Amino acid sequence: MLKYLKKYWYWCVLAPVFMFGEIAMDLIQPKIMSSIVNDGVLNSDVELILDLGIRMILLVLFGGLCGTLCGVFANLATRRFGNDVRKAVFSKIMNLSFSQTDRISTGSLITRLSNDVNQVEMMVMLTLRMAVRSLCMFIGGIYMLYRISTHFALLTIGALPFVMVGVFFFLKKATPMFAVVQKKLDQVNHVMQEDVAGARVVKAYVREEYELNRFDKANDDLVDINLRVQTLLAFMMPYMNIILNLVVILLLYIGAIKVEDGAELQIGDLMAALTYVAMILHSVTFVANIFQSITRARASVARLNEVLDCPDLIGDGDFEAAKAVVGDVARGTIRFEKVSFAYPSSPDRKVLEDIDLEIHPGETFAILGTTGSGKSSFVNLIPRFYDVTEGNVYVDGINVKDYELHELRERVVTVMQKAELYSRSIRENIRWGREDATDEEIYEAARVAQADDFIRASKDGYDTHVTESGHSLSGGQKQRISIARALVRKGEILIFDDATSALDLKTEAALHKALRAQGSVMGTEYSQMTKIIIAQRIASVRNADRIMVLDRGKILAIGTHDELMESCDLYQDIYRSQLKEDKKGVTANE
Amino acid sequence: MSEPNKAPAQPQQQQMVRFGGRPGGGPRGMMREVEKPKDMKNILRRLLVYFRTEKTLLIMLFICVVVVSLSTLAGPSMQGNAIDSIFNKEFGILPALLLAMLGIYAVNTAFMLGQSLLSARLSQRIVRKMRHDLFEKIDHLSIAYLDTHSGGDIMSRMTNDVENISQTISQSIGSLFSGVMTIIGTVAIMFWYCWQLTLITFFTVLITVVVTKVLSKVMRRTYKHRSIVQGKLNGHSEEMITGYRSIVAYNKKEDVIREFNDLSDELCSVSIRAEILGGSMGPIMNCISNIGFVIVSAFGGFFAYHNLITIGTISAFILYAKQFSRPINEIAQLYGNVQTALAGAERVFEIMDLPDENNEGEIPMTKVEGNITFEHIDFSYVPGKQVLKDFNMEVRPGQKVALVGATGSGKTTIVNLLMRFYKPDSGSIKIDGVDIFDYKRDDLRDHTAIVLQDTVLFSDTIAGNIKYSNQEASDEEMVEAARISNCESFISRQPEGYDTYLKLAGANLSAGQKQLLTIARAVLSDPSILILDEATSSVDTRTEKKIQDAMAQLMKNRTSVIIAHRLSTIMDADKIVVMDQGRVVETGTHDELLELGGRYAELYQSQFAGLET
Repeated sequence: MLKYLKKYWYWCVLAPVFMFGEIAMDLIQPKIMSSIVNDGVLNSDVELILDLGIRMILLVLFGGLCGTLCGVFANLATRRFGNDVRKAVFSKIMNLSFSQTDRISTGSLITRLSNDVNQVEMMVMLTLRMAVRSLCMFIGGIYMLYRISTHFALLTIGALPFVMVGVFFFLKKATPMFAVVQKKLDQVNHVMQEDVAGARVVKAYVREEYELNRFDKANDDLVDINLRVQTLLAFMMPYMNIILNLVVILLLYIGAIKVEDGAELQIGDLMAALTYVAMILHSVTFVANIFQSITRARASVARLNEVLDCPDLIGDGDFEAAKAVVGDVARGTIRFEKVSFAYPSSPDRKVLEDIDLEIHPGETFAILGTTGSGKSSFVNLIPRFYDVTEGNVYVDGINVKDYELHELRERVVTVMQKAELYSRSIRENIRWGREDATDEEIYEAARVAQADDFIRASKDGYDTHVTESGHSLSGGQKQRISIARALVRKGEILIFDDATSALDLKTEAALHKALRAQGSVMGTEYSQMTKIIIAQRIASVRNADRIMVLDRGKILAIGTHDELMESCDLYQDIYRSQLKEDKKGVTANE
Repeated sequence: MSEPNKAPAQPQQQQMVRFGGRPGGGPRGMMREVEKPKDMKNILRRLLVYFRTEKTLLIMLFICVVVVSLSTLAGPSMQGNAIDSIFNKEFGILPALLLAMLGIYAVNTAFMLGQSLLSARLSQRIVRKMRHDLFEKIDHLSIAYLDTHSGGDIMSRMTNDVENISQTISQSIGSLFSGVMTIIGTVAIMFWYCWQLTLITFFTVLITVVVTKVLSKVMRRTYKHRSIVQGKLNGHSEEMITGYRSIVAYNKKEDVIREFNDLSDELCSVSIRAEILGGSMGPIMNCISNIGFVIVSAFGGFFAYHNLITIGTISAFILYAKQFSRPINEIAQLYGNVQTALAGAERVFEIMDLPDENNEGEIPMTKVEGNITFEHIDFSYVPGKQVLKDFNMEVRPGQKVALVGATGSGKTTIVNLLMRFYKPDSGSIKIDGVDIFDYKRDDLRDHTAIVLQDTVLFSDTIAGNIKYSNQEASDEEMVEAARISNCESFISRQPEGYDTYLKLAGANLSAGQKQLLTIARAVLSDPSILILDEATSSVDTRTEKKIQDAMAQLMKNRTSVIIAHRLSTIMDADKIVVMDQGRVVETGTHDELLELGGRYAELYQSQFAGLET
């Protein structure tokens, strides 16, 4: 993490340097002030007052300038550093592989990018400004005290262990409690969030009172722990005060003895000594606080490093070389060669096993299977979202590992089940698929995706703004826009990863029909793309060129609908359960 | 205390004050943007209601503050006395003085502790009450409100705003009390010493206030700009990280990173500008207060020269003038915090002022036949966009009626109306001949059960989730409900069976299992009327079969309304209602509708004949 700060080392040095200037002025200014009072005011010497006053104001101005400059440099260093870290983390997040984002959830990534970066920034700022200041105050104070009297210095140093022990006792006890506070606060939020999200159920079962009780319990827990923390911390300041006050009394007592013994001790010295004692003891408390914030920031640094240190699992291959070897293969061919796959998080559980298969250009290839049979994993291997555990996947005859990722993902276009739209216009959301798409191409893609009608029916047509995460659209509408976005991309392989789950059957049928239609207006030959369709409903896949039935990671059967109806028991099972053929007969089938 | 005795204590006192007043590095309280509440008076009045019940605590707190303030004032002057006695060689009274100091310090410390403890208690009690009230309100808000407002926004009122109020109460009340007391005390003493100098002091304080106001106006603008940029950056990164998979799949990484970097750079430069401004605030204030000090000293010297006042008076006066400006600065800082907290309180009260869900209707619902009629219902969520147009439907007791139609045809709206989540614009829904808005709302819902498309489970045990619909149910009844709804086999496979805790509302269950649990919940409530928003799109066929069987069990002998997404479920319905754009277009049994050859037949064909429509 520190390497990001290194770039700005000059500011990191300059900030404390100017801090010295400020501290020096702070130390000198009270002296002038006291002489204004003692020599000027008490003697009614207006001229002296003005003279000293102007000098003091100049000093204060100079000190203020130093302080401001220190702030400027500390700011420059901290913000630039934070900016670099933030950018590095974000760019790293975008380069993580799917398996890595599975492990660190997206929610956690978002908090790391905002909260943790802020924490680290705060720590750097605090260190640059306060730590140096407190340290100077501490050392300077001890030195000044020593110059006045060795006894005074020793007395203060003697009191330090008590201060430190106290400070660390409180911080040590409080720090774990802060974590509990956070947890209880999360609990309160959680109950609340469940209540809001499940409002329909709460109301339907008339459970408002029950929810209120549940919330009160969480609320009481939070209040309890909060009170405990605050009670603990309430003792901290009085404790420090007791020590400070005892030292003051002892110091006066020692001073009295000294004066009684006829030692050389000026009245101003005694008063200055009292000031320095307060300064020293306070700076210790400050250092302790800084220490605490550093501990907290260390946790953030660790969380950021976890992201930054993620190895680049999936990188570019030597595409040109691979292309030269292979020569030209018909565009849109996919071949799986003895492929096995297990998710990195559970390497022992094979999700796909021994898959051997070729999908031909222009083919409509459907995949059917129960949840957990490996359908999504199968298609995720083609654009190399995950790497195979064993075997090889070839696209257009070239191993996907030899592609530059950019090139591979130009060719393979995936439409996900969860349509992720962005807060911009519908037109821009579709154009997001390909920046140079013309309006005509966008309309065409939307028409094929069965989205054109409802888009044109909305108030601003294609310029309707999609609100954050698309709340203004229904699930089926979002899916259709995201299909249009994929179509406009004009890849050669199109994967529907259960991307039509929210469409009603009629719309879905129309979509597939449009995709098969030869030669569309814009010359986009959607029909010539290789299409892989994952679906739950037989009706969606029935007319595919081939249907693959997956069961527990293995290919159970591949064939056309009619072939599978003859040979595959599981397929028949599914068919029957969906169409209730056994009950009503296939009367309507023709 | 004689005046000459006071003089030596001055420089020390001044430095002590300075140390406490400005711990270096610029005023932290100014770092964040200050928001202003719109109607300050009203907000304060309503906040006071919360304090009213805490009178004892408040009085005790006030006593603590008074004692602390007085002892804090007494401490330094006793210190001065001690020093004087040392240098006047009056060692005889020194031990007594030191002991008195010790006593004062002890009192000071004890009451300071009391002050902290009491204000912690006070703030926590008030915040608990406030959170309770807020939740109770949210609990009773209408679905219409919750549907149109983001949960995140409501949540942030609960956490950020209430937390802000809590912190401000615990931190500010003590300081405000003692600040105001010190100001009143010192002003009185200052006037007593010399009114001319007091006016001059007021003048310098006035300058400070004016400068603060002008500066903070400039600063507020910069900080506001910063928080806008910050918000943009957060929004962008949240959207992009959530949508990360699409970005990777569409080769958009570079673009997205570039956008992010631009925003991040903008934030960086705005922050630097804002904080440099904020950081210069401290030194500027410092300069002004020192200039003020010089002015007072100069005038003091001048007055003394002309024998208007004695020297002792000036020195004492300066001491108090210094003491006077400290709480003013403090309160100025607190003012910002308090304003932000009040703006938060205003948002909290905004929610509390929302109307409760409609609770009209007096007729108790005892025995339900289950005859439901929809008569000429018009309904729109947003004015102008009508969802239901003259919708009519009748469900006879014990009948199973299915609603069929394309997405957006208004099926789910029927559920919303029947449950009284929304009120129709015109027309009426009657159960057994009585308008549902004439029944007691909770009675209506007690007799109705819904199974929704979005499965809603709570962070509780499996048993707790099933019993959610019927707290009084026995364990046997619960197990029976689970058996009827095909839950038994997967529940027994859970590590702790029925006592398995559902983390994060069922993250450890599959979508199908969650749906089965919600069916078990509905079974246990033993409703007279059942509403099923059948949703099995993300569930594989085998699980779907189980769910359909469970639903069939549930519907036996009950009046049921099913929103059907797949026709296979509803072929045996007593009546199928086909909807299109908020109207009923066809009604009849499966066979009748097929014969008719209309919309239903078309839908049916598409499902059976696959893609060849």
